[in-house]
Amino acid sequence: MAERPEDLNLPNAVITRIIKEALPDGVNISKEARSAISRAASVFVLYATSCANNFAMKGKRKTLNAGDVLSAMEEMEFQRFVGPLKESLEVYRREQKGKKEARKDKDKKTDSEEQDKSREEENDDDDERMEEEEQNEEEEVDN
Amino acid sequence: MAAAAVPVAAAAAAAAAGSEPAGPGEEAGAGPQCPGPARLARLPLARVKALVKADPDVTLASQEAVFVLARATELFVETIAKDAYVYAQQGKRKTLQRKDLDNAIEAIDEFAFLEGTLD
Repeated sequence: MAERPEDLNLPNAVITRIIKEALPDGVNISKEARSAISRAASVFVLYATSCANNFAMKGKRKTLNAGDVLSAMEEMEFQRFVGPLKESLEVYRREQKGKKEARKDKDKKTDSEEQDKSREEENDDDDERMEEEEQNEEEEVDN
Repeated sequence: MAAAAVPVAAAAAAAAAGSEPAGPGEEAGAGPQCPGPARLARLPLARVKALVKADPDVTLASQEAVFVLARATELFVETIAKDAYVYAQQGKRKTLQRKDLDNAIEAIDEFAFLEGTLD
């Protein structure tokens, strides 16, 4: 269906909501403007991806990681995004950790005790991930 | 030790799982003061990932990378909407129009990458 990457649109409803929350109450947005912003968002993803990929390649990695995206933001002169993005990433990582533990508990109730110890160590290493980008390659097998 | 940790983790996971679908709910009452940063992504990660995969030079992207991209895109949308709105205000309008966006793109360096891409 999508012939060009630009045609891969992000959901209109979400885009509209983000726009409305960014603007003061009572401000409207024309359909053309909203559609243009949606396209701009897609282009932004493509451009940021390409930029981030350059950093991954520089690091001789085949997998784009979060650090590459943050570097791309700086390169694209969106440095002010970096702080908020790092915070969001923290929250995201905690959430993912919580999910892993929940899955573990469901699957292995009796055997878990010994395995939990080694996994807890792995999880501690995960916290270091932001500084040690090389470790990301190991995780990505899950993807 | 491990036994004590299990119910806490389960409770935390339940809380996390419970709050996920309630995403829009928790933002409903929050005005513009509510900080965006700690929020989870509203844009669906699958769609963002589809865009990432569209790049022939990209081999793989971690889940975290896709997440950060999604959040960055949301921040971008907020930013460009606000910047375009300045022009609507100059024109004494309360409706953001396409030309406001074009003006913002022309005037602001960070948006230069958008030139020629929106038509």
